[in-house]
Amino acid sequence: MGVTILTPYPLQNKSGAEAIEELSKRLLALGATQAGQFLVDGDIFEHSFKKIKIHVMHNSEYPASVFSILDNGQKQIPLITDLIFDLLMLKVNPIYSSKKMIKIESKGPRFELGDFLVKLGSVTMSQNQNFKGILIEVDYRPCLVPAFCWDLIKEFLQGLLGQQAPTAIPGYFTNTLPSNNPNQHYHRFNDTYQPIDTVQQYLEHFNNYRKQSQAPTI
Amino acid sequence: MAQSVSVSVEAPIENQILSIDYDGTEVYQTPLTQSEYLTRNAARINFTKAAETTEGDKKADEEVSTVPQSSLAPFENILIKLRDAYTEVSVLHDVLAISKEKHYLVLDPVPQEPAETKQMALVYARKKALGTAASVLIAGAERLKRCDNGPDFQIELLRLRQNWRLKKVSDSIIGDLSFRTAGSKFFVPGNFEVVKNDDTTPSKSSGTPSPLQVIIPAELQGIAYIKVVTQKDQEDLCSASVNLLNENAEYPKAKETYWQKKLEFAQNVLFCKELFNQLAREAVQLQAAIPHVVIGNQIRATLLPGIQLIISLCHTTSYQVSENEVKKKHDGHDHVLEHSLHQLLREVHHKNIHHPLPHSGHAYGIAKKRLLAGPMAFDRHELWEMTKSQTLLEQIIAQAQHIFMRKRTQYVLDTLARDVKDPQIVSHWNALNSPTMSWVKIKINTQGYDTICRTSLVIHVKERSLKAICRDGRVMHLSYEPQELRDLILTQICHHQIAGLQSLAKCMAWQLLSNSTHLGIGAVEPLGNAHSCVIASPNADRTIAVQVRCDPQIVVKVYISHSPKDFYPSGLVQGKFWENLGGNFREVRFDKMEGKNFLNKMEFLMAACTKKNH
Repeated sequence: MGVTILTPYPLQNKSGAEAIEELSKRLLALGATQAGQFLVDGDIFEHSFKKIKIHVMHNSEYPASVFSILDNGQKQIPLITDLIFDLLMLKVNPIYSSKKMIKIESKGPRFELGDFLVKLGSVTMSQNQNFKGILIEVDYRPCLVPAFCWDLIKEFLQGLLGQQAPTAIPGYFTNTLPSNNPNQHYHRFNDTYQPIDTVQQYLEHFNNYRKQSQAPTI
Repeated sequence: MAQSVSVSVEAPIENQILSIDYDGTEVYQTPLTQSEYLTRNAARINFTKAAETTEGDKKADEEVSTVPQSSLAPFENILIKLRDAYTEVSVLHDVLAISKEKHYLVLDPVPQEPAETKQMALVYARKKALGTAASVLIAGAERLKRCDNGPDFQIELLRLRQNWRLKKVSDSIIGDLSFRTAGSKFFVPGNFEVVKNDDTTPSKSSGTPSPLQVIIPAELQGIAYIKVVTQKDQEDLCSASVNLLNENAEYPKAKETYWQKKLEFAQNVLFCKELFNQLAREAVQLQAAIPHVVIGNQIRATLLPGIQLIISLCHTTSYQVSENEVKKKHDGHDHVLEHSLHQLLREVHHKNIHHPLPHSGHAYGIAKKRLLAGPMAFDRHELWEMTKSQTLLEQIIAQAQHIFMRKRTQYVLDTLARDVKDPQIVSHWNALNSPTMSWVKIKINTQGYDTICRTSLVIHVKERSLKAICRDGRVMHLSYEPQELRDLILTQICHHQIAGLQSLAKCMAWQLLSNSTHLGIGAVEPLGNAHSCVIASPNADRTIAVQVRCDPQIVVKVYISHSPKDFYPSGLVQGKFWENLGGNFREVRFDKMEGKNFLNKMEFLMAACTKKNH
């Protein structure tokens, strides 16, 4: 558990593999150790006649869970379940059908550096592995509240990415959430971080990649 | 009595004797009634003869009309006889027809004439028959009487059912001894059979036996216990034996004992077997640095170098031997270890049976934590932690190691406290501890000076290591070797002595010149270094140097130097301060000095040196 910040890494006339290689070298130079691979994938199930989507996502960091987010256009309802949820989705196939073409995944090496966990994911879409971009996930494990460690993560990202590092808090955290008290603004930024937050960040970025009409230059 | 019809004989006035009682009284037959008499007499009449001789009155009315009076044909006689026969047959037919109607004629059975019997034989036969019947009745009455006194089979069965699980299988009653309802998964069935004890003759030794008998399978008979011994080169260090019963339970000698005891013993055998089976399985599966050995009924595991844990299953059916062993095993018995062993198996059973609700079909037998892992989104690290679980044997080994470590630590501290008299070593053991962790607080102080200086440290005794926390916050990890702890305590004593001396010097206005906890000079110590301290008197004319060595024993050496007594300023050396020039150090014969202990002696010494100065 910790706070995870996901940020896209702009490719500057480099191929994805080259960028990953370069970042890995940088991390290793900082003293990180590679600790296996990771994989985050997202699938969309669409209702056959209503405008309802179910995003079913898996994260190798949480190997016993399936994350699903029900999206009916206005509201997103997250649900965390056991692995057998996948089988359940197969059962309801006539109503909710999967779109293989927009299945998207991010995978790559996973590095450990002190309290930080860094994952360099190259995003590919559909079955023919269309390369879409690079997503860097930084997890600061000792902390639970994003507000407390955002500065630390920002600094770490600046050290790692230099100019390309994000300067603003990711939009996901600053969006105002519905609250019981209308006078009080409620942000995820000051709330305890949940594993579903990581998945929702991924979903946001995946959706952005899906919207892009064409793949960036490879 | 058979007589021809024509002779009529009077019936005797005396009645017939029916039977004779044992006392000789005769029982008479009641006289016949009129109707009975008539029937008997009628039975004696031969109607055929009567018909032949005298034309029967009744038949005559029917015959007269049909018979021709005279005929002289040659076959006349034959014709008549045939006609007579025909007539008789038809009459008989008619009589049968009439009697069938039951309106006019009733047929009564003709009582047969009783056969001629010998009276005495009859009497004897009856006597014998009655005697047999009486004996049967008496035996039955006896049994009923006994049942009223002793326990009834049904009541016993009811009592048995209150404590044990029974079920009826066809004609027999089968009971279950196993721990299956408590979550056991052991394969040995553990069934016993309940039968009624027919042989209820009271035996000499133990009153009336129970009418209920239990039959226990051969593999569960006898007495069993699990013996756990920690051994160091053939020498037993501590032992525990585990069974379900209390130690003083004596095995029932013969079959007449009460079923309750018998069942308890059988269940104990089952318990021991299951426990051992589980342990042996784990011993084979575990991959220890020094592999565990399972031979027959014995498991050997190495706790610490040279120290072995031996778990053996003792199961015997010969009672004499077992009694001896029971006596033997009481030496050095560790109740705490025994309790822990019990606790461990119960925990396994508990885990087998207690699953969180709801029980979904496929998730049965999965820990609650694992069930929650998916919906709670446990990460890799948490899931990995979850897979780690200690097996029973591992826990037993850990506990045995801890017990051994604790004993060793106790021994080291006690011997040190005994050997080192000067600073007193007091160890406070925590009374409440876990099976694998305990701690001891050690206080070192000098008698009479405990307000000046106290040294305390805490030692955590773990499974294979010790953790010492000093008062200044230093944490030291020690291995299982007792020498390390000994060295640590000795060093602490040296520290204590020097620190005490410093405080004392301050109180007496002496100056501390130097202090070293690791004196690099002098004879090389095999372990650690000597501590030293140099103090000077208030006007600096005397210097005392103290060296405390801790190897192998606490040795204190005190040296003293003083300035030359007579200082005469000369032309070359004029200043008065040259008087304070130190002279040679000479050793003080410290053991000869007055004083109870080191600090006391030092106080005297300092006082003496200060005094002289004035």
